[in-house]
Amino acid sequence: MAVGDLKAGGFQKARPARPRKFIRLGLGAALPWLLPAGLLGLWVLSLDRGWVQPYQLPAPPTVVSTFIDLLSRGELIRHLGATLNRLLAGYLLGAAPGVLLGLLAGSSVGFRRFLDPTVQGLRAVPSLAWVPLFLLWFGIGEQARVYLIGLGAFLPVYLNTMAAVGSVDRKLIEVARAYGFGRLKVLFRVILPGSTPGVLTGLRSGLSLAWMFVVAAELIAASNGLGFMLVEGQSTMRPDRVLVSLFTFAVLGRGSDTLLAALERRLLVWRDTLATTQEERP
Amino acid sequence: MGPFGRRDFLKVAAGLVGVGFGAACAPAGAPVSAPGAGPRRLDVLRLDYAYYNPVSLVMRRKGWLEEEFARDGIKVEWVLSLGSNKANEFTASGTVHFGSTAGSAALLARANGVPLKTVWLYSQPEWTALVTLKDSPIRQVADLRGRRVAATRGTDPWFFLLRALDSAGLSQRDVEIVQLQHPDGEQALLQGQVDAWAGLDPYMAHAELVAGARLFFRRPGWNTYGTLNVLESFLNQYPDIVERVLTVYERGRAWARQNPEELITILAEESKVSPEVARKVLTERTAFPEPVPGDQLKTVLREIVPLIQKEQLVPAGVDLKAAIEALVESGPARQVLSRSASR
Repeated sequence: MAVGDLKAGGFQKARPARPRKFIRLGLGAALPWLLPAGLLGLWVLSLDRGWVQPYQLPAPPTVVSTFIDLLSRGELIRHLGATLNRLLAGYLLGAAPGVLLGLLAGSSVGFRRFLDPTVQGLRAVPSLAWVPLFLLWFGIGEQARVYLIGLGAFLPVYLNTMAAVGSVDRKLIEVARAYGFGRLKVLFRVILPGSTPGVLTGLRSGLSLAWMFVVAAELIAASNGLGFMLVEGQSTMRPDRVLVSLFTFAVLGRGSDTLLAALERRLLVWRDTLATTQEERP
Repeated sequence: MGPFGRRDFLKVAAGLVGVGFGAACAPAGAPVSAPGAGPRRLDVLRLDYAYYNPVSLVMRRKGWLEEEFARDGIKVEWVLSLGSNKANEFTASGTVHFGSTAGSAALLARANGVPLKTVWLYSQPEWTALVTLKDSPIRQVADLRGRRVAATRGTDPWFFLLRALDSAGLSQRDVEIVQLQHPDGEQALLQGQVDAWAGLDPYMAHAELVAGARLFFRRPGWNTYGTLNVLESFLNQYPDIVERVLTVYERGRAWARQNPEELITILAEESKVSPEVARKVLTERTAFPEPVPGDQLKTVLREIVPLIQKEQLVPAGVDLKAAIEALVESGPARQVLSRSASR
């Protein structure tokens, strides 16, 4: 059987061979691609053998040609633009107050006691449960969608920011005070830098939630956007378009996260942690 | 490295990939998930019912199919379809064996690769029109430019809307078509969240009678029949079952024509509308003519071919004329009718 062959032949034989490091390097580079390649193989195979029907799961070339077609007709760009627009608007609308209120709640006990119980209460509501209410309040339109995304982004940003401020070393603040720093100077020189890692974590998870909410928002009563493409493909029996939309979501989601991760690395070069040292010596 | 080294990891990864392929190779030649496939005997017969298919409501209420198939030990299950798009999804995924759609929706699915066969016409309705509120400034289709219109993609009302726009020199780019399932579309119109709605009965009649909504664009001939569809594989595998189901559909059709009052009661109760609404739908806008799908269906479908091409609703290169021929299957219905006539 294939499993046995691979185990007995493929890898064990490689062990005593000379250019071990080379093989290791090659395998290392191939490793992340094994699973996608396997899945792709399974995809082609299951269509070939008739386990799934092409109207349920279209063949990879069909999806690619649909992608090219959508791209050349400008349809994909139009939907992409709509999605990115509302994602960005909603994200800013949620993340900015998230950071601000998180900083305030983290640094002032009074403010925390005032705000935090309410936010914690709101957090207990499963986020998608807001959808009907938002539709009733703001109607079917851009407003409801952007607010929904904003709400999704706000919570993790706020919570992480507050926790990050709370975890700033008190001794550092005392030292700063001893040096005669005022409140504002402490905030900008100690608390803000000290809480940046946590804030960035919050911003990243806020972004991933914003992606989730953008889909939810576009599944309901939309007329454009990548999420709308999902529903449209579903309603008109075009699984190829559903898949194109899905892949686009995957690429964008990953891309935006990578962007934030790069920003995080840039802002946190001063940190001497396991993560940063590991990244330098892979 | 920890106790679980890189080499071990590689082994596991290789093993996983191997197992994946092993599993993939195992059931060679035995299709597992192809809908309608499987053992020759059918255990459960699944049909959809829909408020836009009144005969299905009668059959479900009366339990005729359950009666018919009880002697074979075949269970009957009913699934509610909220629109042609849903019915097509159900049929394509094997959730139901018989799905109720509009002719246009069946054609769209067929052209997009779902091997559907229309085996019965359950009604000839005027179930869709363009609807707006009583005091809306919208008087004609051209007034829709730049407006927000609710519709359910992949259904007859949506085709009707596209065709209406086309007739007024507009395209779907000139309006904002908000994707809402039929009942949600009515709500959105009545709440003023959209300017117009490509309606569907009985919701449309409900909006008319309850809120005084206005049908500002009607074309009875643009409605593309109520079609009952099965997958080709199901028809090939269970031709006898298809004919038995159609026999019961014929019984339902005859009953519906003979008992208009009770039909009104059933539609009203099932779809939760008042008897007045149901009466309007059934007496003014629904007919149960000759159910064998044939030239009458092909004719209305051919009329929407240019529209489907212009709006690029199917991949380029799909032969829609051939799709119509492949979709319409008159054999089983003809059998059923000739048998019931000779009885």
